[in-house]
Amino acid sequence: MGPVEHLHMSVFSQSFSPCGRFLAAGNNYAHEGPVFSLLSTDSHLLSAGNGEVSAWSWAELIKRNTKAVIHNLHFSLFSFVFSFISIPPLQENSLVIGGGDNNIHIMDLESGIFKSVLQGHTDYIHCLSVREREGEILSGGEDGAVRIWDCRTGHSVHCIEVFKYEDCARPQYGKWISCLTTDSDWMLCGGGPSLSLWHLRSMSPTSVFPLSGCQRQATFYQDMILSVGEGQFVSHCLMGGEVKAQIPCTPHSLNTLALNLNSTEHRVLTVGGSSHQIDVFANLYYRSFSLSF
Amino acid sequence: MSDALKKRKSKVVRSETGTPEGKRGRGDGEQEVRVYSEEVELDGSDPAEDYRQYKLTCKALAKLMNEIQELKANGAKDGCAEVEQKRMQSCIHFMSLKKLNRLAHMRLKRGRDQTHEGKQRVDVLHLQLQNLLYEVMHMQKEISKCLEFKSKHEEIDLVSIDEFNKEAPPEISRISITKDDPHQLTLARLDWELEQRKRLAEKYKESLSSKEKIQKSIEVKKEHLSSLQPGLNAIMQASLPVQEYLSMPFEQTQKQIEIARHLPPSLYVLLVQANAYGQACDKSLSVSISGDVDEAKALAKPPDDSQDDDSGDSDAEEEQEKTKRRRPTTGGQLDDKRREMLKRHPLSLCLDLKCKDGSVLHLFFYYLMNLNIMTVKAKVSTATDLTGAISAGELLNSDTLLNCLYANDQGRETPNPANRYQFDKVGISVFGDYVAELGHPYQWVQRLGGLQFPSETPEGLRAGSSLSASHMESTMKLLRGRVQSRLALHKQFSSLEHSIVPVSSECQHLFPTKVLSRLSRWTAITHHEYTNLSFTRHVSDAGLARETDLFFLAVVERGTARLQAAVVLNPRYPEISPLFALSLSWKGERAGRSDDNLRAIESEVNVFKSELQGPRPGHQLLTNQVARLCVCLDVYLETDGQDDSVEGPREFPREKMCLRTARGPNRLKPFKYNHPQGFFSHR
Repeated sequence: MGPVEHLHMSVFSQSFSPCGRFLAAGNNYAHEGPVFSLLSTDSHLLSAGNGEVSAWSWAELIKRNTKAVIHNLHFSLFSFVFSFISIPPLQENSLVIGGGDNNIHIMDLESGIFKSVLQGHTDYIHCLSVREREGEILSGGEDGAVRIWDCRTGHSVHCIEVFKYEDCARPQYGKWISCLTTDSDWMLCGGGPSLSLWHLRSMSPTSVFPLSGCQRQATFYQDMILSVGEGQFVSHCLMGGEVKAQIPCTPHSLNTLALNLNSTEHRVLTVGGSSHQIDVFANLYYRSFSLSF
Repeated sequence: MSDALKKRKSKVVRSETGTPEGKRGRGDGEQEVRVYSEEVELDGSDPAEDYRQYKLTCKALAKLMNEIQELKANGAKDGCAEVEQKRMQSCIHFMSLKKLNRLAHMRLKRGRDQTHEGKQRVDVLHLQLQNLLYEVMHMQKEISKCLEFKSKHEEIDLVSIDEFNKEAPPEISRISITKDDPHQLTLARLDWELEQRKRLAEKYKESLSSKEKIQKSIEVKKEHLSSLQPGLNAIMQASLPVQEYLSMPFEQTQKQIEIARHLPPSLYVLLVQANAYGQACDKSLSVSISGDVDEAKALAKPPDDSQDDDSGDSDAEEEQEKTKRRRPTTGGQLDDKRREMLKRHPLSLCLDLKCKDGSVLHLFFYYLMNLNIMTVKAKVSTATDLTGAISAGELLNSDTLLNCLYANDQGRETPNPANRYQFDKVGISVFGDYVAELGHPYQWVQRLGGLQFPSETPEGLRAGSSLSASHMESTMKLLRGRVQSRLALHKQFSSLEHSIVPVSSECQHLFPTKVLSRLSRWTAITHHEYTNLSFTRHVSDAGLARETDLFFLAVVERGTARLQAAVVLNPRYPEISPLFALSLSWKGERAGRSDDNLRAIESEVNVFKSELQGPRPGHQLLTNQVARLCVCLDVYLETDGQDDSVEGPREFPREKMCLRTARGPNRLKPFKYNHPQGFFSHR
């Protein structure tokens, strides 16, 4: 990995270890292509990228043994995975994978068998989220629709086409939804359309955030919303729709945002994007230091 | 009283004179008759008695005087009978006093005479004693002198007595006599010695004469041999055409070896190794020596050398003295010292590397004697005339041609750490100033000459020929590769400047057949201009754009879109691939840093370059990279996002086949070209 590669590296995904002391980050030189998504379960780290899902044991990784690949699942050639999540406690050891073949697959981690397929999207899936209380899965796709699925039945309960709402829509960017996150009652989604906060019971947008650029990842934190995307900053927004602060950081555009909630002593925010450096924020309001590949 | 005195005097006179008269008078006639001799009387009288007598007389006299006094005092008159009597008695006393006085005097005189006599006798004896003593001393000295006498014969080492007795002929040794008599023995031994010496002197004369004879015969033989030399030379000359016929340049190699003996050691090592390598592996390599052999010979003689140096120095100093009044001395002396320090050995090596296409790389190796480093100057002579490419001006510049043959070997600093101290003495701060004149002291040049200097990173220590040999092959290959890549670049540049991107037939499969973006400009820029460009900061910050690199600016255009690409070309091309930094101006300025898609194009060209190497030795990397750039620009422009808000026809209709136009969170376009299907996909 020479300096030239460093210049052209992008970080797409991050995940903290269960003990909270390690951060795994995926860039665009891993596997046979970029690692778009990383997920940490209690003992394993799952990574997904260009049509390949691999699992690693955290215990082995901490011992610097990188050959601990347990599963290695290949999808069909042109599908790729941008997002996957696990959904305990509803269905133990299940993995929800959003694929490039426009479908959502639910897989059993222990056996590796696909349990069910959720179909409905007309274009590939960007992001997934889960509402634990209601047992629902939310998915956002390239087709601009946010679909809410019921885990048990496997049917789409709701379908929100965000770009059809005038407040949110930004036709100059497109209609895709690249970021999605829920807080049971509330949902944040953004991408081509502006980042907007939705009330799920009423299925209507309550506030639209005036952020330029497409947001790629957002999360609820305490009573704030943190969002990253195009633009060299992390945006702090309030539920009411104001942008409280925009904290500058090193990469020119950010792809991923992660909060280390597993550990009390390393409670940091890390962001990564189109740079070989990952910024670490110990205090949310300024950048403490950067980690580098 | 005066009368008494007179009377007494007369009496005394009478007695005294009387005595001798009496003696004379009576003596004549009556000598044997009793003679009054006071001397005889003196013998008889006792001095003590005389003294008593004297005292008595004085007392009596004093008494008489007193009586007279009394009488006179009682009023007696003058001429009184008592007084007269007394006076007569006192006169008698006076006479006895006189006699006594006389006796005393005589006694004294006699004593004196006796003493004098005795003294004389003693003196005589004393003198005799002295004489004898002196003589004794003299005799003793003589005796000791005689005893100390060493005769010369004791200084000669004589043979020992036994040997003498054995060796000497009997008439000399005369054993019977000499056995008892040491004097005779010594004499005999001396005789024997003398005879032996005479004999040996004879022998010596004989051997001297024989030696001279032999010497003369040697001279004659030497002359004979030296007369053979011209004959041999003639034979050698005559054999030259034979050598050429048999293609064994014996004569030439001999000459070279002869001159090579005067080369400094590192140049010699290089010559030997290069010759060896050329004969064994690489027929197109040839080495020759050039320079002044006589100067080299002069340098090789140390005592003359030091003398020359001294005289040279003193001459120089004298000159300096003379010019002291004209110009400041320190500057002049320092310049001379510098020149002296940087002096080159008069002999140099010329190495010629011939390439397949007929161009030749000439390398001139020099040795700096005081600094103990080697330098090189390079020159390329091409088979065809290279003109037309303005941007390629720097490519074959002899100054920079050999830059960074090995990584970080820029050749501007001297590799010998000891030189630092030498430079401080003469005030040279940067060796790079003299590089143009003296040649470049690259690390590989030192290694080829077997000179190993300690460096920051500890390497295995091999000095001398093994070091040179181990590096010869790799260095020659690198040199050849460098020349060829530069020549290839030269050709490529000339076509790039004419806006044609040359793509060879082996690389056609990398690109689609129809590419609409065109290279409109290709120029060379300086390092300073490169760093001033706004979109190249990340490259400079990462340390990938250094002063030793070459910089170019390419402009690709299609329609209203204009893509500027700043290229960093490392001297070690094509081992190290060129680095592109992009900036697009189309509906606003976008740079590779801020636009993810431009960044993706950059990585397509910079990172995934192994596909673009082309056939070995990969000289087409740059042109393929430029070609790919054009293709990617096409894709970028044609797949630009569906901007439904804007009406009207798109500027660039979609002509490329793409599976998906945007993928992933950062909406990347498909830049990867798949052959032979001919569509674009994401990596």
